[in-house]
Amino acid sequence: MIGRLALRLAVAAVLLFLLAPLVVVVVASFSDGPVMAFPPASYTTRWYAAISDEFWQAAWRSSVLATVSMVVAVVVGTPAGITLARGEFRGKAAISAFCLSPLMVPALVLAVASYQLSVVMFDLTGTTYAGSFGGLVLGHIALTIPFVIRAVIVGHTHLDASLEEAARGLGAGPFQTLRLVTLPQLGPSILSGGVFAFAASFEDLPISLFLGGGDAPTLPVQIYSTVEFNLGADLMAISSVIIAASFAVLFILERVVGVEKVINAGKGAH
Amino acid sequence: MSMTIRVEPSGSPAATGERRAGRASGASSGNPSGLATALALAPALIVLAYVFALPIVIMGSYSLRPFSGLAQAGPGWTLANYGKFFGDLFYWGIVADTLLLGAIVVAISAVIAYPPAYFLARTTSRWRSLLVFIVISPLLISVIIRNLGWIPLLGRNGLVNTVILGLGLSSEPLALLNNFTGVVIGLVHALVPFMILSLMIAIRRIGVDLEEAATGLGAGPFERFRLIVLPLSKSGLLAGCLIVFTLSISAFTTVAMMGGKRVLLMATYAEQQVRSGLNYPVGATIAMVLLALTALFSLSALRLLRERR
Repeated sequence: MIGRLALRLAVAAVLLFLLAPLVVVVVASFSDGPVMAFPPASYTTRWYAAISDEFWQAAWRSSVLATVSMVVAVVVGTPAGITLARGEFRGKAAISAFCLSPLMVPALVLAVASYQLSVVMFDLTGTTYAGSFGGLVLGHIALTIPFVIRAVIVGHTHLDASLEEAARGLGAGPFQTLRLVTLPQLGPSILSGGVFAFAASFEDLPISLFLGGGDAPTLPVQIYSTVEFNLGADLMAISSVIIAASFAVLFILERVVGVEKVINAGKGAH
Repeated sequence: MSMTIRVEPSGSPAATGERRAGRASGASSGNPSGLATALALAPALIVLAYVFALPIVIMGSYSLRPFSGLAQAGPGWTLANYGKFFGDLFYWGIVADTLLLGAIVVAISAVIAYPPAYFLARTTSRWRSLLVFIVISPLLISVIIRNLGWIPLLGRNGLVNTVILGLGLSSEPLALLNNFTGVVIGLVHALVPFMILSLMIAIRRIGVDLEEAATGLGAGPFERFRLIVLPLSKSGLLAGCLIVFTLSISAFTTVAMMGGKRVLLMATYAEQQVRSGLNYPVGATIAMVLLALTALFSLSALRLLRERR
């Protein structure tokens, strides 16, 4: 009995540890005093009205960037993933390894590398894409494409091959089979890959730090540059808005496919 | 959340994909033609060649150029950057600190992940899905926002120091932020869900009857853990350790946020050299060494997991 109680206490402590910073962000966003004095002595909601346009614009910029990077990843990664999962062709193992290898490369390394490419391109062409939205997209899709490819490959292994055979047997052509049988079955996997792609782009700091312009930062860059000198409750307020939005998405995912499934299909990198 | 979901020990996506794909294609109805294969792969390959392979090649070439002034690299090729890196104890210190950070984060994560992993693998409580949700949902919430929440907690006047001072554990506030300790706390928090998931999957595969038999033979909870759960979940532990270690030594965001730009590890030092120091060759060299280290650990992880299956 004591063993069971000890186990439960330990589990509760770890779960508390996991939730603590999220709770702190939300509580601190209602603080009526300095953020660093925690817990706050008194509470107010005024910081939500005081969130600066800079923060809203950065949040919007990050959302658009993550959406574009996710869409590109789904469009480019889905056919590649299906082909790598089912085809038999020369060089498949090498191509597969190449497509998934960005998942093992530290984001900071990708950031330095993309930045140095932009420097070389500037020397060659006289124009630079560093600092532009297009440059950020180029940097971020190296991050997002492999998530979709991997989720599709993993999802494809759980497909019921007999359904495709049945469709072919009933006279469906390869494209009809793909559209009516394969893709709908892969839907949850593509969704998982897309969610991870979006999250990876949305939370990225290093690539945006190197490729983004100083006057149009993404939300993580904005947070990073604010936190050292100007940590205020308004920063906690915009972060709370993001936490709330994230949980709304997570809740919908939980209802539609199950968050555990999404994580299992997409985990392994950060 | 369904319990029937198949889960692979993490860390071996490529291996799993390949092996399973062989089986899947045997069962599916015929191979697509060579042209269809090429067309389906081409967009991904072309894009990744430009946004991934080419940048790495350029970075590699920067690491082989002499430094010739701020934001410049001189003509000609040289190994001097690597020579300087490996000949200077300062750089060895940064590498050692980075690896030490990985080892500490792995050790703490493994210890605190076992209780929730065991509980979630065994419980039949109707709260299970909520608890799993609490464990894994942080993974999909921006890591920089999770870091942010630690700052008011760990500061000099923060809750943790208030409690420590209140309990008389220390006579003055502890420095828990903007230093190595802060980075460890932030990384354990960011990465422990991976360890919990990895262990949970491994423990789920251990038959409950083994533990029941051990109990019947008089084993207490601690002995059951030492003699059954720990040895039989070793593959999950290993997978979790390798993932957490690789992600720890790769980490930039959490190190920068929790270390307050004062903790110099490989990732933060490379960033500093390129962005502030404008020393492109040295920055590229550090990034290349970091890339080689993470590749080494990722590939050994793949190999280990393949052998164990």
